[in-house]
Order: sequence, then structure tokens, then C-alpha cells
Amino acid sequence: MSVDIFLSLLTAAFALMVVFSKKTVVAAFALLMTLLTIAIIYFQVGTVFLSAVQVLVNAGAIAILFVFVMMLINLEQFPNNREKNKMKLIITSFTVLVIMGVLALVINNNIEMLSVENLTDNSMKALFDKLFTAYYLPFELATMLLLAAIVACIVITSHEKHEKHEKEELLETEKNR
Amino acid sequence: MLIEIVEILLKIVIILALPLGALPIIIHVERRGAAFMQKRLGPNRVGPFGLLQPLADVAKFMFKEEVHPTHVRDFFYTAAPLVALVVALLPLACIPIAAPIDAFGKTIYPEVFRSDMGIFFAFAASALGSYGILLAGWASNNKYSMLGALRACAQMVSYELSLSTSVVAMIFLYGTNDIHLIIKAQTGYWFGFLPMWGFFLQPVAALLFLVGIFAESNRLPFDLAEGESEIVAGYHLEYSSMKFALFFMAEYIHMIALSALFIIFFFGGYSLLPGMEIIANKSPILLVALQAISFITKIALMIWFFVWVRWTLPRFRYDQLMNLGWEKLLPLGIANLIVTVLFVYFRNP
Repeated sequence: MSVDIFLSLLTAAFALMVVFSKKTVVAAFALLMTLLTIAIIYFQVGTVFLSAVQVLVNAGAIAILFVFVMMLINLEQFPNNREKNKMKLIITSFTVLVIMGVLALVINNNIEMLSVENLTDNSMKALFDKLFTAYYLPFELATMLLLAAIVACIVITSHEKHEKHEKEELLETEKNR
Repeated sequence: MLIEIVEILLKIVIILALPLGALPIIIHVERRGAAFMQKRLGPNRVGPFGLLQPLADVAKFMFKEEVHPTHVRDFFYTAAPLVALVVALLPLACIPIAAPIDAFGKTIYPEVFRSDMGIFFAFAASALGSYGILLAGWASNNKYSMLGALRACAQMVSYELSLSTSVVAMIFLYGTNDIHLIIKAQTGYWFGFLPMWGFFLQPVAALLFLVGIFAESNRLPFDLAEGESEIVAGYHLEYSSMKFALFFMAEYIHMIALSALFIIFFFGGYSLLPGMEIIANKSPILLVALQAISFITKIALMIWFFVWVRWTLPRFRYDQLMNLGWEKLLPLGIANLIVTVLFVYFRNP
């Protein structure tokens, strides 16, 4: 039990470090440590496969991409904008409230979740039997969420590019004059 | 309880001592092999056949004054070599060097971490290998180190994909992800003489895996993380004495671990070398010893193959490396995977 508490605290500490550390690369490495400690929790619980996949996909590929991009664009040269924004505050508090509400719902109503206790054995077959039958809808919804995030990324970045393009055109016309 | 602790400790000691003890020998073989292929003599002055040269090198690494540059990020600079070495040692935890033994009233597994998911654990640990390099490159606060680290890391991430497709194809073909069962499927002979190794079943997957190992361990012809004329020594440019030696060790241990995985999938792991069965049936202890010898011989041949390729093939250019990885090997890997899956599906519907 004490190991569980220690691991949870460690994960929480690293997660807080992601949010509060001033250097972006340090934050990225803290994110990596968060992912790894979550993998250790999976391992501790007994699902070796989930733990391996967590390390392989999240820590081994996604976090590397984060670190990679942060190193390439050298974020330290940009001013740290942490100004207090009213809209930001509203959105953040709304998100926190929604997450808390969902958690409260789950805990109060004893909604059955895909947990280790529900698995008859920890093999890959048992896990995927559950995932592709009983929990197919949440699984697909999660992919929809990822798709939405990808589309949002494209929209945000392409918009900025467009603006930059316009600025460059303006500069060029000015030069030509 | 005590016996279990002793058992685990023994396993850990063996699994650490074998590759770390083999390192000086491998480095010596590499240098002598390089000399052999270039019609030179190589290090032959210290001891008989220059065999004590690695010892002299170790002594030098230990006692050399360390240069700690002032412009580095101290914490990460010190942490990077340790991360590299520890992560390189991790996959060895689930590589068995012999079959499980029935002794003292229970089955003793020769690997430290016994699980039927061991193979995923090994690949997960190997996927973390790029962090040591990335940390070193960034912490050195130097553009050459940085570029070297980025190159090494991009190369490792790209080739991991084609390597994974070949592993998935092999797991489908064997129908299991337990290392012992995979090796068991490869013991025996076709037509009485051809060993039932995965290499003969899936030469394409073997090729993908092999190229993947070379790229993952940053060995020639893919050693673009270093380049005298472009980025000097790459990510370990700012490192000296023992810290540099740790990177060096990590690279070789990564190579050993990946070779061991390659042998498990394509050359029958610890299954006996052809011709050994006649002696091996005499006693169970002899069988285990011969299995370990077979496995180590296979790895040694693999290491020799690394040296051979190193002094045979010229280096790639970076864009050629990326084209090979993404445009040729990855489609080949996916095609191979689809063919394998269809084959497995129609063989036992």
C-alpha cells in the first residue's frame, strides 16, 4: 500500500513539475518522468502489457517528439507569457469542474470501468477481448477525441501561417515601392 | 524467501557480469578485426596478442583527469551517461540464456524478469535508449552535440518503426509472445538438416530487423550521430574520461541486447547449434551449459558481423538514411506484415 501511495505522489509531483517548471525542456523531461511513473504503477498493479505499451508508445515515441521539437525551436528565446487572462481562467475552471463532476459521477454510481479486477487474467487476449467488445464505444470515442485534437492543431497552425504569409506579402510590396 | 532473494541476486549478477565482462573483449575484437580488414596489425603490444590493451584502456579511462566544461547544464550533463547505461542494461533483464530448469522442486527461469510479455518489456526499454543521447546533446549546450543528438534520435525513432513491423510479423507467425515458446518453435530440423530458424521462414523480416539494429545502435553504415568533418564527435563531444566511457559502454551493450533479440527471433535463441544434440542428451546440466554456449556463440558471431559490416560498407548520407527508412523499409515492413497475417489467417482459419 505504501508503495502505491509513494508512486502516486511521485507521479503527481512530476505532473506538477510539468506545469510549473520555467524551462520548457525541463518540463518535457518531467512529462517523460510522469509517463514512466504511470507505467511503473501499471507494472505494480500487474498489467505488464499495458505498462510496456505505455513506455513504448507514450514515453518512447510521443515524449521524444515533444523533447525533439522543443530542442529544435529553442523556446527559451521567447518571452514567457504567463499573463493573467480572464478567458483562460474561465476555461480552466470550467475544465476542472467538468473533470471533477465526471469523477464524482463515476465514484458515486459505481460505474463499471475497465480495471484490473475486471480482467480474468492479465494476458493480452483477455485485455483485447474486453476492449473490442464491452468497451468498444469508449475506445472509439477516444480515437474521435484524438482526431478532433489533430484537426484543431491543423486549424491553429495553418491560421498563423496564413497571417505570416500576409505580413510577408505586405513587407514585399513595401520593399517594391 | 531467502533462497528466492539469492536466486534473483545471482541472476542479476550473471546478467550484468556477462555483457560487462564481454565488453573489453568485444572492443579488442573490433580493433583487431578492423586492423585485419585493413591489412594492419592493430593493438598487439600490451600482453600476448595485445589482449591486455583493453585493461590498459580501462585504467586510462579511470585515472584520466575529467574536463567538466563550465557552459553545460550540470544536472543533466551528469545524469545523461548514467541514463544511457542504465537504459541500455534494462532489456537484458528479460533475455533468457538457457531453457527453464526443473530443480529444487520448482521451475527456475534463467531470466531476471519472467513474464510472457517479456519481449514487449525488452522493446520498451530499448525504445528509451534515445533519451540518454538526447539529454547529453541538450545538456552539453553546444550546437555540434545538439545536432549529433538530434540526428541519432531521429534515426532511432524512424528505424524503430520498420523494426517493430518485423517483430509483429514474427509474433503473428509463431502465434505467441512468450520468449521460451518462440525459441521452442525454432528447435528441430526441416528435411533433417536445415535448422527451423525464423530466418528461413521470414528472410524479409530478418533483413528489416538487421538494418534496424544497425540504425538503433548508431553503428556504421548509419553512424551519422558522429562525423569528424561535420559535427565532430556528436552528442558526446563535451564528455571525457569515465563519462565518455559510459556512453561507449552503453552503445556496445545496446548492440548486444539487440543482437540477442535478433537471435531469439531469427536464429533460435538458446536452441542448440547443429550437431550439439548428441552430447547434450547425456545430462540436464550439460544441456543448460551447451544452451548457454550456443546462445553466446551466436551473439559473438553477430558481433563479428557488426565489425565486418563496419569495415565493408561506406557511410550513408543523412537524407539517404531517412529515405531508406521511411520510403523503402517501412512500406516493405508493412507489406511483409500484411502477407504474414494473411498467411497465418488462411493456414488455420
